[in-house]
Amino acid sequence: MRIGVDIGGTFTDLVAFDPRSGRLETLKLSSTPQNPAQAVLQGLQALLDKLDCKPTEIGQLVHGTTVATNALLEGKWARTALITTEGFRDVLEIGRQSRPELYNFFTQRSEPLVPRHLRYEILERLDFRGQVLRALEEGGIQKIAAKLSEEEVESVAVVLLFSYLNPSHERRVRELLGAQLQDLPIVLSCETLPEYREYERTSTTVMNAALLPVVNHYLQELEEGTQQLGVPTKWRVMQSNAGITSARLARQAPVTLLLSGPAGGVEGARFIGELTGHPDLITLDMGGTSCDLSLIQGGRPRLTSEGQIAGRPLRVPMVDIQTIGAGGGSIAWLDAGGALRVGPKSAGAFPGPVGYGRGGTEPTVTDAQLVLGRLNPQSPLGDIPRLDLEAARRAIAEQIAQPLEMSLEEAASGILTVSEANMERAIRVISVERGYDPRVFALLAFGGAGPLHAGQLARRLGIPTVIVPGSAGVLSAFGLLTADLIHHFVQTVLQSAQTLDWEQVNRIYQEFKREGRRRLQADSVRPEQIAFVPSMDLRYLGQSYELSLTVPDRSLGTADLAELAARFHREHERVYGHAAREEPLELVNLRMMAVGTGAKPVLPRRAPGRKAPEMLGKRPVYFAGTGWEDCPFYGREGLAAPARLEGPAILEGVESTVVIYPGQSAQVDAYGQLIVEVS
Amino acid sequence: MKTQESVDAVTLSVVRGALAGIAEEMSAALIRSSYSPNIKERRDCSCALFDAQKRMIAQSESMPVHLGAMPFSVQAALEEFPALEPGDTVILNDPFHGGAHLPDIAFVTPIYSENELIGYAANRAHHADVGGSTPGSVAGTSTEIYQEGLRIFPVRLWRAGRLQQDLLDLILANVRTPRERLGDLRAQMAANGTGVRRLAELIEAHGLARFAQITDEILNYSERQLREGLRRLQPGVYCYQDYLDDDGRGTERIPIQVAVTLDQELGEVTVDFSGSAPQVEGPINAVYAVTASAAYYTIRCFTDPQIPPNDGAYRPIKLIIPEGTIVNARPPAAVVGGNLETSQRIVDVLIGALAPLAPEKALAACQGTMNNLTLGGIDPRSGEPYTIYETMGGGFGGRLGLDGIDGVHSHMSNTLNTPVEALETAYPLRVERYELRPSTGGRGRFRGGLGLRRDIRVVEHKATLSLLSDRRIGQPYGLFGGDLGARGENVLIRGDIEKPLPGKCVLQLHPGDMISVRTPGGGGYGDPKEREEALIQRDLEEGKSSDKQVSPER
Repeated sequence: MRIGVDIGGTFTDLVAFDPRSGRLETLKLSSTPQNPAQAVLQGLQALLDKLDCKPTEIGQLVHGTTVATNALLEGKWARTALITTEGFRDVLEIGRQSRPELYNFFTQRSEPLVPRHLRYEILERLDFRGQVLRALEEGGIQKIAAKLSEEEVESVAVVLLFSYLNPSHERRVRELLGAQLQDLPIVLSCETLPEYREYERTSTTVMNAALLPVVNHYLQELEEGTQQLGVPTKWRVMQSNAGITSARLARQAPVTLLLSGPAGGVEGARFIGELTGHPDLITLDMGGTSCDLSLIQGGRPRLTSEGQIAGRPLRVPMVDIQTIGAGGGSIAWLDAGGALRVGPKSAGAFPGPVGYGRGGTEPTVTDAQLVLGRLNPQSPLGDIPRLDLEAARRAIAEQIAQPLEMSLEEAASGILTVSEANMERAIRVISVERGYDPRVFALLAFGGAGPLHAGQLARRLGIPTVIVPGSAGVLSAFGLLTADLIHHFVQTVLQSAQTLDWEQVNRIYQEFKREGRRRLQADSVRPEQIAFVPSMDLRYLGQSYELSLTVPDRSLGTADLAELAARFHREHERVYGHAAREEPLELVNLRMMAVGTGAKPVLPRRAPGRKAPEMLGKRPVYFAGTGWEDCPFYGREGLAAPARLEGPAILEGVESTVVIYPGQSAQVDAYGQLIVEVS
Repeated sequence: MKTQESVDAVTLSVVRGALAGIAEEMSAALIRSSYSPNIKERRDCSCALFDAQKRMIAQSESMPVHLGAMPFSVQAALEEFPALEPGDTVILNDPFHGGAHLPDIAFVTPIYSENELIGYAANRAHHADVGGSTPGSVAGTSTEIYQEGLRIFPVRLWRAGRLQQDLLDLILANVRTPRERLGDLRAQMAANGTGVRRLAELIEAHGLARFAQITDEILNYSERQLREGLRRLQPGVYCYQDYLDDDGRGTERIPIQVAVTLDQELGEVTVDFSGSAPQVEGPINAVYAVTASAAYYTIRCFTDPQIPPNDGAYRPIKLIIPEGTIVNARPPAAVVGGNLETSQRIVDVLIGALAPLAPEKALAACQGTMNNLTLGGIDPRSGEPYTIYETMGGGFGGRLGLDGIDGVHSHMSNTLNTPVEALETAYPLRVERYELRPSTGGRGRFRGGLGLRRDIRVVEHKATLSLLSDRRIGQPYGLFGGDLGARGENVLIRGDIEKPLPGKCVLQLHPGDMISVRTPGGGGYGDPKEREEALIQRDLEEGKSSDKQVSPER
C-alpha cells in the first residue's frame, strides 16, 4: 500500500493506492494549522480503518508539506546567525540595492532573516579563481562561537566570498564552530548552493539555516507519530522540483521544500498528461483566491532556479509556477476611470461570493458563473447546501450592471471576460515569454474553478485540447505517488567554452553522480533504476543570463564542443528569436539531475459505460455571443468511456463544474479523464 | 458610465490589459535577449506602443527616468522620417532630438497592417558605452555633447527589413565594446519585433476603426483618473527650491526651482520651473524629456500609480520649462548627468513642493544621486580593454509610519548592483567592502535610510576613473521636523593615505589604488523627539546608529 498526504490551507488530502489490486482510495479532512502533523496522523489512522489495512502493509509514505513555506510567511523561523567575509555583512540586507515597487513611496523590502547584530564578519578572502588572498583568521571564530551561545542562536549560516570555487574556509569555520557548539546546525553556502552571485547564495543559505530547526522538528514529530501508529515505513517528502526525497535528507535541506505542496499538483498533472498522451501541458489550478499556472514540456515540469519566496530570492530548482490573484472569489469592481476590473482582491472562502449566503456583499467571478447558469444553485458546494442565485443577481445588477447601463447578463459575462483576460495574460507569461507556443500544449484544468474557464481560455489562446482529470481535487496528493526520487546538483565553473578544462568538467560530473547514487541508494533505489541527466548552463561570453542544455551522460571533451555550440545557437534562437553564431560561448554552471525511478501506479481502466450519457435536465445558460441557450447538464461522476458530449453542456461534479462551450465536444477516456476538443 | 464613443467597460478593461501586456512582452523580450548586465540584470530599459497619431497608448512598467521620454523619441523619428515604411526602424540617441542622454539608445519601428499604418513600437535601453572621452560614456567633466560619445541623430538602421550594415559599422567603430553593443542592439530590435507582431494581432481582432475608438477611450480613461487623483489634493500654489552641489567645472550651488499650481476645479496641475539656474558648463544639464519624466513620475506617485501611463495621463499636466536652463538645456550642452543626477534633484524639488498638501503621501528626500562610477582600462589578464559602469544606492527618505530603506536606489533609478563575484571574475578589480554606513540617515520620528559604502581596488593595472555624483556638499532634506541625511563622500585610498575627491571628477588610478564611494543617507520624517523608544533601541542594537543623540550632520 502506498499513501500520499498533501496538506493544504483548508484541507488535508490523503490518497492510498494498492499496486496489487489497483484500488485507489481517497480521504479528505480539515487541516490543523496549529499542529499540521495532527491531521496527517488522524487521516492516516482513518484511512487504515477505511481500507481495513494493517499499518505494516504500508510500503510507502509520501508527504507534500507547507510547513517550511508557512514558517517563512508567518515569520516563525529560527533565531539565525550569519558568518561572512569581512566587509560584507550587509550583503543580505542590501540585496541587489533595488526596491520592490518603483512608483510607491511606501515600498518596503522584506525583513532580512538575520538581523544585523547577528551577522558576523571574519578575516579571510579568496580571489575569483578560488585562491587564498588572505588566510582564515581562526582566533576570531572562537570569539564568534562564544557570542553565538550568548545570543542563544538556534542555527548558523556560513557564506564566504567565492566559496563555490574553494570550500576550504567555510569547512574550517564549521570545524571550529562545531568543536565548541556541538548541537548547533551549521549550514554552508558551498554545500547549499555552490553557485556564483553572493546575494542570491547568501539568501538561499540563510533561508536553509533559518528553516532547518523548524522543518527538522516537524518531520521528527511526524516520524515519531507514524511509529506510534505501528507504521514501520520512513516518510518521503515532495520537493519544489516535483521529485521526492527521504525525510532524512529533507530535514537537512528545507530550502528545497518551499513549493512542496504545489509541486505535487504539477507532478499529478504530468502523470495525467502521460496517461492521456499529452506530454506538453499548461496546468491551470484555479481556486477561491488565486490561480496557479505552470508548464510541463516533454513530460517534465518546467523548473526555474530563479524563484522568490516572500520577496527573498531562492536559487534552487523549483517548478516554475506563476500565481495571479484570479480565483472564483475574486471581486468585480469599477475603477475610478470607469473600467470593469476583477481582483486581485478576493472574498476568499469566507465570507466568499455573495451566492454563498455567508455575508459576502461584493460580486465575484463565482457569482457571475451562477447568474449565467453555469453553476447549479441547487447543488451543494462543499459545506454550502445551496447557492443564493437571487442575491448574486442583485449584487451584480446593483454594483456592476446598473452603473454601466448594461444588462445583467452582459455585466456577468463581462466579469468573466475580464477575469479570463487576466488569466490569458498570465498563461502568455509562462509560455510565450519563455519561448513556448501555447498552441502546441494541452490545457489541464483543476481546482474548484479551473474547469469552468478552461474551454474559453483555450479558445482564446488557440489551445486545441482541454483535459479535466477524473479526481482533480486530490491531484496534488496523487502526484506524491507518481513522483520519482530526484536530486539536483549545481556547481559554478565560469570558463570560456573554447578553453574549458574538460577534465574538471568530467570530474565534477563524476562527483555529482557519486553523491546522487549515494543518496538514492540510501533510499533503497536499485542501481538499474537510477538515471542521470547532466546539463550545462551556457551563455554568449559577456551575457549575464544563461540557457540550460542537457548533455550526454558520458565523459565529455573538446570534440563535443561543436555540437554543443550548434544546439546552444538553436536554443537561443528558439527562446530569444536570434542567435549570434560567431560569438564565443561561456560555461557558467554544471548541473546534474539524479533520478531514481520507482514503480508507478497503474490506474485501473474503467469498464465502458452506457453508450449515451444520461442527461439530468436542461437549464438556460448564457454564453457571450450566442446569448441564453437551453443547455443540458449531466452528472460528472456517472460518465464513463466512451461517453461523448457536444457543447454546450454542463457537467456537474462533486469537486468542480465543467463547462463544454458551444462548438466544443468532450469525451471521457478509460481512466475517467475528460478530454475536450476545443476547435 | 457609458461613454460617447460607446466603448463598454469590459472592452476598456480587456484592451487596457492587453496593451500593457504587449508592452511587458516587448520588455521581457528585450531583457531576455540583451547581452549586457546593464539591461539584462539591471533592467535599464523601457518599451512603449504608440497609435498612428503618435500618441503613446501603453508603456511597460519601466525606469521612471524613461517615463516621459518615449513620446519625444517617436516625435523626433517622425520629424525626420514622416513616412516610415514597413520594415524600417529608426535609431537615435541625440538628447536634442528625441533622446535623453547619449547612452540611452532608442528604436522606433512603424507597425503596418494590410498596408495601413496602425502605430509604432518604441524602446530605449541604456548602453554601457557609446564612446566619448571616458569608458562608459558617463564622464564627470565634459563641457560639450561632443565629448560625451557618439551622437546619433535619427537615422534608419533598418530599411524595408534590411539592416544597414554600413551604418551599424559606423556605430560599432565608435564604441569601446562593440560586441556587447551589437548584442544589445539586436535585443532592441527583437523587442520592437514583438511589439509590431502583437499590436497588429490585437488590432486585427478588433478592426482598425473600432480599435481607434477603443484607444481614444483608453487615453480618456487615464486622463479621467489622473484628474480625479489631482482633485483629491489640496488646491493652491506650492513652491520649493533645492540645489545641485556643482557642475564639476566651477559653478556651485545650482538652484532648481519649481512652482506647482493645483487647479482643483479642472483637475489640472501646472509645473513651472521658472527661476531655475541657467544651463551650466559641466555635464549635468537636463533636456526637456528628462525634466518631463521627473514631473510625471512624481505626480504619478502622489496620485495613483495604477493609472496606465499614456498620452491621456499626461494631458492634465502642464509643464513650463524655460529653455536654456539646467532643466531644459540647448545644444551643445553636456547632458549625461542631467538624466542621472539632475533628474533626482528635480524629483526632490517636486516632492518638497507637494509634501505640505499631502503629508501622508510624501517622503523626505532620498539620497538624491545615483553615484555614477565608471572604471576602464586594459585587463592585464587578457590584454583586452574593459569598461564597468556602476550606480550605487543610498538612503531612502523617511515616510509616515516607516523609516527610509537602507542602501537602496530611489526615484528615477532602480538598477541592480553587479554581484562582487561577477565583477571580480569579469574585471581586474577587487571589492573590499560593501556595507551600510551607520548613522547616516537623518533623524526623525521615522529616520532616513542609511547610505552605502563600496570600496573597489584596481588590481595590477592603471585605470581611468570617472565619478559623477551629487549631495557631496548639500544634504538630503528632512520633512516636518526630520533632520537632514548625511552627505556622501568619495575617497581615494592610495597606500595609507585617504584623499577626498570631488563629486564629479575624472582621474587616473595607479595599480593598487582603491576608490571608496560612500553614499548619502535619506532625510528624516517628523520630529526626532517623537521617535518610538523601541525603534531607537533596535537601531542601537543593530549598530545602525551609534548614538541616539548624535545628529548625522558631519
